[in-house]
Amino acid sequence: MALQEICGLSDAPYMKSRTHFLKSTEEEMKNSTSNIENCYSLSAPPFENPMQNLNAIQQHGEKSGIKIDFDHGTTTLGFKYQGGVLLAVDSRATGGQFIGSQSMKKIVEINDYMLGTLAGGAADCVYWDRVLTQECRLHELRNKERISVAAASKIMANIAHEFKGMGLSMGMMLAGYDKRGPGLYYVDNDAQRTPGNVFSVGSGSIYAFGVLDSGYRWDLTDEEAQELGRRAIYHATFRDAYSGGIVRVYQVTKDGWINISNTDCMELHYKYAEEKK
Amino acid sequence: MSILAYNGGCVVAMRGKDCVAIATDHRFGVQAQTIDTDFEKVHQVAPKMFLGLVGLQTDILTVRERLAFRKKLYEIRENREMTPKVFSSMLSNFLYERRFGPYFIEPVIAGLDPKTSEPFICNMDLIGCPNVPDDFVVAGTCGEQLYGMCETLWKPDLEPDQLFEVISQSMINAFDRDAISGWGASVYIIEKDKITVKKLKTRMD
Amino acid sequence: MQAELARELPPAGFNFENCKRNEALINGGFLAPKTVKTGTTIAGIIFKDGVILGADTRATEGPIVSDKNCSKIHYLAPNMYCCGAGTAADTEMTTDLVSSQLALHRLNTGREVPVVCATTLLKQKLFRYQGNISAALVLGGVDLTGPTIYSIAPHGSVDKLPYTSMGSGSLAAMSVFESRYKPDMTEEEAKKLVRDAIAGGVFNDLGSGSNIDLCVIRKNKTVDYLRNYEIANRKGERTLDYSFLKGTTIVTGTKTFNLDITETVIPMEVA
Repeated sequence: MALQEICGLSDAPYMKSRTHFLKSTEEEMKNSTSNIENCYSLSAPPFENPMQNLNAIQQHGEKSGIKIDFDHGTTTLGFKYQGGVLLAVDSRATGGQFIGSQSMKKIVEINDYMLGTLAGGAADCVYWDRVLTQECRLHELRNKERISVAAASKIMANIAHEFKGMGLSMGMMLAGYDKRGPGLYYVDNDAQRTPGNVFSVGSGSIYAFGVLDSGYRWDLTDEEAQELGRRAIYHATFRDAYSGGIVRVYQVTKDGWINISNTDCMELHYKYAEEKK
Repeated sequence: MSILAYNGGCVVAMRGKDCVAIATDHRFGVQAQTIDTDFEKVHQVAPKMFLGLVGLQTDILTVRERLAFRKKLYEIRENREMTPKVFSSMLSNFLYERRFGPYFIEPVIAGLDPKTSEPFICNMDLIGCPNVPDDFVVAGTCGEQLYGMCETLWKPDLEPDQLFEVISQSMINAFDRDAISGWGASVYIIEKDKITVKKLKTRMD
Repeated sequence: MQAELARELPPAGFNFENCKRNEALINGGFLAPKTVKTGTTIAGIIFKDGVILGADTRATEGPIVSDKNCSKIHYLAPNMYCCGAGTAADTEMTTDLVSSQLALHRLNTGREVPVVCATTLLKQKLFRYQGNISAALVLGGVDLTGPTIYSIAPHGSVDKLPYTSMGSGSLAAMSVFESRYKPDMTEEEAKKLVRDAIAGGVFNDLGSGSNIDLCVIRKNKTVDYLRNYEIANRKGERTLDYSFLKGTTIVTGTKTFNLDITETVIPMEVA
């Protein structure tokens, strides 16, 4: 403090501590940074009754040209089999028909034993997956054991329920390994949550299911399962305009998750075309 | 979504030294779903003239047939081959006739004059406003990307083999940023004495 | 006569067969496509020895510049030219149509057509379509009555003025005219004024751009169509080269069609 006074800095307004802020400024700052302190507190849109009006704006936006085209479109799949859980996803992010990225990571590594996939609004999924990561770590610290997939998916479903109808767009799978064995859950923005053996989510899911259902058995070997997932995603990228890029395959076993492969669709296409001959 | 983007696809044409090139992708889709990957949007309408049509597929087929009819009639009556210039005015008039109820297509014409072998490229909007520049023309769902690629890669007086590389790279890199174009491509290089058709290896997603 | 029988006989004028279908598609939630607009700054003034028309050369399709050097001064008759702004196809086709009507008129009467005749043809056509043909025109020419400038709005209203401008850049151009126009200017002065007016649009209006075209029509019936009178916006020179090595693009199949060029020379009969 002494140095400040010698330099004559103490009177400068930017040297004053936060207590000197006006009450209203402080209030405003708090409001506009609310989710730094509490990640569940998102700013409401600047108009009344967002639940109805946001949807109305989006619907009208198609004609008026003010529609928000956030990144969308995906193919993701996951299934349980004798060796654990397998996840496979594409890597394309599109805003409208424009391809924003061909190398997105649509599998989020929540911790060493749990993975989440993203489909729908990219920003929604990334944000809430990060919140989930934080919750899972806190759970570990509080309870001295890893969170179960069931509990983690329940947190996600609760978040979705909190914001239901507000315009969130998510369709995610949570895959992991806990004391009950391999776990696979589907959670979406309607707050639906279901456990299951085989899921596929996203705009290309219908094509992926075609391949997946014809090749799926419980007793697949690891190699067979990986190839099935890869092939299902590849066929979806071929037919679906909004899926493409790199096919990423992950596997979750009792020892945690491993990244099996990341293969470019172009490489896969010409490899499979060669095999057909 | 624009009606012009219902089926997806793009076409680009470029002028070179005593030659022209026209390229097309192969996708035929219905919105997000890819139906066919062997659907070419470029048609040979005369020995040295090609017509590329993008937009609503049903209109592409109708317009193609109606133009063929008018062109044949012209050739029977006049007993001479149609030049690209005449063909483009015919197309322009045909489209403008439907000014208040247009076909949802964007045409591109590329060719050499049958007598003088003068290169000719032309594109129009859906109501037939002709645009005849001396560099390149683009049409389709990735038009913006194509403008960017062509504007950087094209230069005057390209020889046929250089023109091929420029037009191919422009098209491939443009539609790789567009979800509803791609799935293979063809390039037609039209020279005075020969036409070369090349199929390109592209991403298939 | 088979060809005559097979001929589809479209009635003259516009064809509305697609209208219902298109309306249904647009009501079904699809967006109507954009047409090429000229955006445009066009202008015309009267000077001592005739008239001068001016135009920029940009055509736009929404936010995209679809033609960097289009020509917006259309020929109507040897003594008349017409600048067009609005939907590009409309200005093009309307002036073309009237141009051919004027040619027929000339052939029928054997006389030069007065400018007011072209104005009437244009305004009657535009009024008939109630502004649906979106062409805003600046018509300039000389005839027995001397030099005249008309501006014709898309709904068919006409103004006869010593100087006028149209299009999205018309305000920029008009501000130049309002401050500097005076009657009986010399040709050089007048050309400079029109250039400055168009340049005002080119540099201050986003819908206008690229180059400046001028057209001088003098009382003595000489015409100077000065295409690209000034290249106001030159494309930057590229210092490096992006040529590709041969074989950069992977080709999966090639077909070549050789065209037989048979030139038969029939000797002239010398009898």
